[in-house]
Amino acid sequence: MEKVIVKKREHIPEKGFHYTAMVILILLAIYSIVPFFLMLAISVSSEAALSKNGYQFIPQEFSLAAYKYLWAKRFTIGRCYLITILTTVVGTLVNLVITSLFAYPLSRQDFKQRNIFAFILFFTLLFNGGLTASYIVWTRIFMIKNTVWALLVPGLLMGGMNVLMVRNYYAVNIPYAIIEAARIDGANDLRIYTGIMVPLSKPVMTTIGLFAALGYWNNWTNGLYYISDSKLYSVQVYLMKLMNDIQYLKSSSNGIESAQLATMSMPTEGARMAIAMIAILPILLVYPFIQKELVKGMVVGGVKG
Amino acid sequence: MAKTTNSAVSEYDGLLAQKNKKSFKATAQVYIPLYLMMLPGFIYLICNNYLPMFGILIAFKKVNFSVGVFKSPWAGLENFRFLFETRDAYLMIRNTLLYNLVWIAMGLVIAVSIAIMMAEISERKIAKVIQPLICFPSMISAVILSYIVYAFLSTNYGFLNQILGTKINFYTKAKYWPYILTVVHFWQSAGQSSIIYMASIGGIDKAMYEAARIDGAGKWKQIVYITLPMLRPMIILMLLLSIGRIFNSDFGLFYQVTLNSGLLYSTTQTIDTYVYRALIEMNNVGMSSAASVFQAIIGFVLVLLSNLVVRKIDPDSALF
Repeated sequence: MEKVIVKKREHIPEKGFHYTAMVILILLAIYSIVPFFLMLAISVSSEAALSKNGYQFIPQEFSLAAYKYLWAKRFTIGRCYLITILTTVVGTLVNLVITSLFAYPLSRQDFKQRNIFAFILFFTLLFNGGLTASYIVWTRIFMIKNTVWALLVPGLLMGGMNVLMVRNYYAVNIPYAIIEAARIDGANDLRIYTGIMVPLSKPVMTTIGLFAALGYWNNWTNGLYYISDSKLYSVQVYLMKLMNDIQYLKSSSNGIESAQLATMSMPTEGARMAIAMIAILPILLVYPFIQKELVKGMVVGGVKG
Repeated sequence: MAKTTNSAVSEYDGLLAQKNKKSFKATAQVYIPLYLMMLPGFIYLICNNYLPMFGILIAFKKVNFSVGVFKSPWAGLENFRFLFETRDAYLMIRNTLLYNLVWIAMGLVIAVSIAIMMAEISERKIAKVIQPLICFPSMISAVILSYIVYAFLSTNYGFLNQILGTKINFYTKAKYWPYILTVVHFWQSAGQSSIIYMASIGGIDKAMYEAARIDGAGKWKQIVYITLPMLRPMIILMLLLSIGRIFNSDFGLFYQVTLNSGLLYSTTQTIDTYVYRALIEMNNVGMSSAASVFQAIIGFVLVLLSNLVVRKIDPDSALF
């Protein structure tokens, strides 16, 4: 009898905690995505309604004017997209190739010099020269200012942490015996790499590939540092420069209204949010399919990253 | 008989020596493909990481680009002296440290709380929807983030000004930004930072909770006496790692989300934004590199120290 009472008394607060946790988390989930709906609502509201009522979560006087503006500007925006897609695809592929090529020798236990190279790699995780030095190296020695290389190379091509992740994956999941057997059968290292290491490491390659792609898609700092030629703007760089230009105009001519900005051929408030929307859209579309991989990567990379 | 044995032995030795010689050459040759495979990555490390490390010298020079960095005269610690005589130096170090300290403490509580609540509902289907949603904000760039924040804070149209019925120009009022940046920072990073703790909680033996329940421990006691102690190593590890990065800041958050507004510097200038502004906007390579080298060296020392501590507590989690 006593036991039953104890059980009952325990049962109630457990249920209470359970439902409280659920409610808090649902609210948190809503809180996390609600700002995106504000952006969406602004982008489909008419400019007149925006200047009358300001930004609201419910679209006012539904209008696709902002998206029509984007369509009218499709060559400019299309070029930005092309550059973003191009740098993301090329950058991610090159990243995967040189990362795994560097990781394979580091995982070979019979390769005595691997420790030197592992240290060379590892040291870059502990110490860096800072932005000023990087900027001077890239602009004065490699002259990448206003070239497409600026969007591809600095800081993005190969991350030390990723190499270590791939190396560990090779060392743990691909037994050395397989490599040795392949060598006895006469396979050279390139053949072992392409025939064994790459096919057997798909999970880790997927994870670092996704992070690399996300890194390229979202990168705007390289554009800020090295690009001033509008022909080379990626979507993020375009959005960044747009916001900064408008902010500059506003601050220099005190409280300039959006109508005035529009006459200066600056996109309207709605149009700006529309561009931002279409910059998130691709991430939004693939996110449900890749989020599991990303979470896996965050767990591994979170500790040592 | 003995003679033949001897000769056989010496013959064998000779063969062995020959073989060794061959195998030495052979091993060197065997590894050439491996060196070649590492070449692209190695070149990239030299260009992207090691050349800038030598670039630290710039901070000790009076740089004159017309004669080149290497031929520029030495300045000793001049650049650092100039830097630390400015008020900027105090401001940016104070801001960087304060934001980091407050956010590390708050972040720990928030991330662990989310992880414990997620673990509580992990059996339910809705958890599979909630987790991706709270992680989504970390997928977007600082530029998009600045648009979202602008939608809330814009003077004339901003949502916040609408519901408050005010016309506050947030981008000119420095006093609001510690709060704004804190909200924005956690909006973006809370979900992601809780994932690591969720994984740790997932690894705790369920039998312990069973045993505790049988002994009459409620949810709260289970959290205090099982979950938190089991998370302790991970919490310490994450704390030490963030202390190693305490002189760094999220450039995107402090530069782009504030829309680079000069009126906000008193609460938004961090070492990273100063390095950038000194370099590009003030064109002052000396000051910029002094701040950047100061950050790099202190960061390096802190990473080494925190790793030393991690290795003492939990050798498996140590970076080296």
